[in-house]
Amino acid sequence: MSPAERRDRFEAIAAEAYEPLQRYLRRRAKAEDAPDLLNDVLTVIWRRVEDVPMPEPLPWCYAVARRTLSNHRRSVQRRLSLVGRLEAEPTPELILDPAESLQDGGLVDAMGGLPAADQEVLRLWAWEQLEPREIALVLGSTPNAVSLRLGRAKGKLAEAMSRQDPPSGGHIGDRHAEEHQR
Amino acid sequence: MKDELRERLARLDPMSSRVPTESVTTPSSRRLLEDIMSTSPTEQTISERAPKKNPWFVGIAAAAVLVVAVGGVIALTGDDTDGGPVAGGPPLELDAGADDPMAMCIMFSVEELARAPLAFEGTVTSVEGETVTLDVDEWFKGGEAEQVVLHAPAGMEALIGGIPFEEGGQYLITAYDGTVNYCGFSGPSAPEFRAAFEEAFAG
Repeated sequence: MSPAERRDRFEAIAAEAYEPLQRYLRRRAKAEDAPDLLNDVLTVIWRRVEDVPMPEPLPWCYAVARRTLSNHRRSVQRRLSLVGRLEAEPTPELILDPAESLQDGGLVDAMGGLPAADQEVLRLWAWEQLEPREIALVLGSTPNAVSLRLGRAKGKLAEAMSRQDPPSGGHIGDRHAEEHQR
Repeated sequence: MKDELRERLARLDPMSSRVPTESVTTPSSRRLLEDIMSTSPTEQTISERAPKKNPWFVGIAAAAVLVVAVGGVIALTGDDTDGGPVAGGPPLELDAGADDPMAMCIMFSVEELARAPLAFEGTVTSVEGETVTLDVDEWFKGGEAEQVVLHAPAGMEALIGGIPFEEGGQYLITAYDGTVNYCGFSGPSAPEFRAAFEEAFAG
């Protein structure tokens, strides 16, 4: 790939992924870390621009962001453990819109009770609006395995909601209750 | 029903579309992208940031620079260019240098680790100059040899790829194309690191 082609490819990817990557990172990292992380992600994309699958670069870019983020978290953890403050800065597992979360506390609680991997699949599905095939690309998994996990995560969410007092939005808990009555 | 759950979850999104993000066309975005595109695709950028992030990387980066400075690496001894299994008797010989350190310094993840064609845990039995010999304790992937010999570029001695090899120490090693992948994907055996290997090469 010639230098001009590399640039064109990178510009095309950036046009598509620049804003979604900002959202992805700010959903999962502290606001003050997001700009550096974005820089790191874009740098990796630039270095490996030939490898980026076109015309749908986004899942691949999310996969880079995911590795960048987990590397960042590991190094934060390592730094903290070096100074003996292992638990001083917990990884943000679930960051929610405060206004909305007040209105749908049941779902927030249910989500918070799920294993981290289930939460992440649900986030990629509902927040990044990815389909299982794309989620598989992000997580380095297979569409089949992702579909299974997503289905199970939704089931667990419904179950957790049904255990709560009258669910505010109601629908998921209701459905589960109906299933129990059958 | 499923779409309804998706919508409810989407309403919890702290970065939903009504939250503005910076457009790719703003001057500061353009500056960022131009800065990135002005770097060489193989430029060592991790070394610049490493001191803040990960002390181990400092050694790796320094070693990587040293590899370049020394100029070249010892060629892989065998013909086994795909890093595949070497059955039984003779030790597997691996190159411990790299002609393109950056290419290997990708972000660590279990998924990335799982792509390594060769992975094992071994105990160092000898460190002699530029050669480190390990007895294999466990093959995770791609090999059968009972012994592995790592050859460092001249002058690197025991600090192969920034990993301080010591006799009796246990190490987790991955290799691509007969070359040790030291950038975060090989190192002293530790519970967390070993767990990542077990996860990556399960089944």
